[in-house]
Amino acid sequence: MITHPIRRSPSKGLDLAIALAGAFAALLSFFLFGWLVWDLVRLGLPKLSWSFFSGEVEDAGRGGGIAPILVSTLGILACCLGLAIPLGTGCAIWLSEFVRRGSAWARLVASGVDLLAGVPSIVFGLFGMVFFAQTLGLGFSILSGGLTLACMILPLLVRTTLTALESLPADLRPAAAGLGLSKTTTTFRLLLPAALPGIVIGITLGVGRALSETAALLFTSGYSTRMPESFSDSGRALSVHIYDLALNVANGSAMASSSALVLLALILLVNSAAVALSEHWLRRRSSAS
Amino acid sequence: MASSRNISLSRCVDRVTGGVLALFALVSGGTVLLLLWNLFAGAWPAIEAGRLGAFFTDAKWQPGSQRDPQFGMVTMLAGSALVTVLAVALALPVGLASAIFHRFYAPPLLARWNRRIMELLIGVPSVIFGFWGLMVVVPAILRIAPGTPGQSLLAGGVVLALMILPLIALTSQAALQAVPSSLLQAAAGLGLGRARTIVSVALPAARGGITTGVFLGLARALGETMAVVLVCGNIPQIPGSLFDPIRPITSTIALEMGYATASHKALLFCAGLVLMLCTALLVGWISFRKNAANPGIGGA
Amino acid sequence: MNAAALHISGLSVSYRDLTALREVDLAIPEGQITALIGPSGCGKSSFLHALNRLTDLVPGCRVSGSIRLADGTEVTDPQTDVLALRRRVGIVFQRPNPFPQSIRRNFEIPLKEHGWAKSDIPDRIETVLREVGLWKEISDRLHQNASTLSGGQQQRLCLARALALEPEVILFDEPCSALDPLASGVVEDLILSLREKVTVVIVTHHLAQARRIADHAAVFWTRDGAGTLVEQGPAERVFSSPQDPDAILYLNGARG
Ligand SMILES: Nc1ncnc2c1ncn2[C@@H]1O[C@H](COP(=O)(O)OP(=O)(O)OP(=O)(O)O)[C@@H](O)[C@H]1O
Ligand SMILES: [Mg+2]
Repeated sequence: MITHPIRRSPSKGLDLAIALAGAFAALLSFFLFGWLVWDLVRLGLPKLSWSFFSGEVEDAGRGGGIAPILVSTLGILACCLGLAIPLGTGCAIWLSEFVRRGSAWARLVASGVDLLAGVPSIVFGLFGMVFFAQTLGLGFSILSGGLTLACMILPLLVRTTLTALESLPADLRPAAAGLGLSKTTTTFRLLLPAALPGIVIGITLGVGRALSETAALLFTSGYSTRMPESFSDSGRALSVHIYDLALNVANGSAMASSSALVLLALILLVNSAAVALSEHWLRRRSSAS
Repeated sequence: MASSRNISLSRCVDRVTGGVLALFALVSGGTVLLLLWNLFAGAWPAIEAGRLGAFFTDAKWQPGSQRDPQFGMVTMLAGSALVTVLAVALALPVGLASAIFHRFYAPPLLARWNRRIMELLIGVPSVIFGFWGLMVVVPAILRIAPGTPGQSLLAGGVVLALMILPLIALTSQAALQAVPSSLLQAAAGLGLGRARTIVSVALPAARGGITTGVFLGLARALGETMAVVLVCGNIPQIPGSLFDPIRPITSTIALEMGYATASHKALLFCAGLVLMLCTALLVGWISFRKNAANPGIGGA
Repeated sequence: MNAAALHISGLSVSYRDLTALREVDLAIPEGQITALIGPSGCGKSSFLHALNRLTDLVPGCRVSGSIRLADGTEVTDPQTDVLALRRRVGIVFQRPNPFPQSIRRNFEIPLKEHGWAKSDIPDRIETVLREVGLWKEISDRLHQNASTLSGGQQQRLCLARALALEPEVILFDEPCSALDPLASGVVEDLILSLREKVTVVIVTHHLAQARRIADHAAVFWTRDGAGTLVEQGPAERVFSSPQDPDAILYLNGARG
């Protein structure tokens, strides 16, 4: 093989430069991520104890624990999923099984959902404040916050469910039709069970999104740090707690760090679960076929 | 042995199911209209009073002032725009380089971990980025530039860049992964080296996907509240340097909605509308380009 | 021979602007096996799918003409209850397509849908699994996922699943072409065993097979860009002395 040394060397140099820049960038990302986690652990771990999880919020958050905050967070999450899961999966099922692909209604609904996906979270907050808290009279409450978040994660659920339904084996539907199964039976007894993995992954990602959200909750679920007694009580989510401690409470950063560490751990847990689930199911599907 | 019981019943059930699902779908698709309607309703007092013009003509933002109320949004629009562009400018080279490394250089194990870290990082709540920025980035800036407030355009840009880095890296990775291997083989067949192949073949072929990632990053950074409200200093002004504080639109809404009354509130809704319009344009541009590229698809 | 399970006249099938099948007239005799043969793409599957309205599933597919069941039910009539129709006219596809659930569920779902009493279902499952010779092989693992069965077993399961609904007609679309010769032989014997009990319509590319099992044969051919029926009659006559020039070529070519 004849090579031209003079022509090749610049390319070699370029290759090395790209390799170095790429490795540097990748390392930088690792490093920044490690730094962030390390800082949160360093700052937040000292205060973590059982009483941190079980205690009431004291002194505007500088002392005590985060028990009411955790309860409120769970309450908000429950309201959010309670609305978003039926609505999102229902919408996706309708789009994929019950309406002709590409019909005007299908397009309209799909683009409405897509538009919703692009709305900034603070705008969801404004919407939730006017619509759920004021118009529907739910006030600053866990319910208002949860319903606002439901609107926010709705597009995610619709997309993931739709993808799951569309990637089912193509011969499932003819098989069902050939046996004279109704659409309802086909959908709920065959397609949904088969698409469940994808749907569960979507819900898991949605949980992660909902747990991380702050801006949409500022004016919907409120700031109260008392232990909520019902869904119509105001309740402060973990993320809002961190925000409030960091911005409005002097000397709040130690407790903010601990809360941030808890939130980060929760999110990483939820998101790793989603990744693990999808890898598990991918492997099973590829080994089954 | 029975059969064909209630076949017509099945048909009825199908009707009902279809109806209920259609209702769910209409609610899902209609939420965005409801949202827009409520935003407009909230903003209407300001629009009706003709304050929208003042948005762009007034120099300052002091809506609560009794003597001299001013409603200029320009400083905040500028703040949003600057911090967003800065964030993407910082994140794009790093994200793209790491994606190239991931696709063409990294050994499989490293590539897997790189991807996994990015996937985890993409889920980190923005309030945590903001808090970390406040605790770490702001002090670092104070060390570099003593005498400045620390909370600044630069701090916001860095924190936002970090936040959208995984998004840009992952979309670029996907775009590079989607370059057909036949194209790379063709390049190899012409005796192109790896670097030449990347620069002249792979990157141009992946340009569409990378641009999509950039637009997604822009939209995400523009709409972000928590990461900026904690580190940008929140002074509505046109910054003279990277170290000056700014106040993006999102921060303004978050900070003032709590106590705003009447006309001030309506203005904040206007700000929300403007924000939504900008992100909708960015996201709309993405789907427009996508549809232009492969017109057959689209629809549901 | 005057009893026809299906009376087809003037049947045309088209996909958007492509006519797949034009003006087919055919009577499918009751209780016998009718084989449809012809080269690839001449509209055999389209014909078969029109018989129980699976064509409804294909967007842009249009069917015209008339298909009457023995009792006079008009298949193509939009008012006809398509679910009941598909119970009466079952189908087995080329690729085995059991539901990815337990073997038992594969029967329970359709049986329940069509109104079988819960208490009758286990017996029904046993009966049809015996009929297709699977009972001994799998009676102890009805709870297992059906996709763990071998290809031949899966295809027999699909046949059993169709039989469970007590159809009057069963359509087979190349039921053996995804199977190895041994499994293919088993399925072929099963189809033969259905004679007299059910009306069978089978599409096959395997002329020797058609010859072995068919009572009646229909040859399809593509003419002027659309599939048509060019020859039909008792299988023996069609195979030994075809009239249509294309059919002669096709049958002879395959023979030699
Ligand atoms: N879903 C569809 N959409 C569009 N065209 C179709 C569709 N299904 C079949 N066709 C067309 O209709 C014609 C007849 O197809 P059909 O599947 O009925 O033929 P066939 O005789 O069963 O062929 P084969 O022996 O290969 O199965 C072909 O030209 C085919 O391309
Ligand atoms: Mg066919």
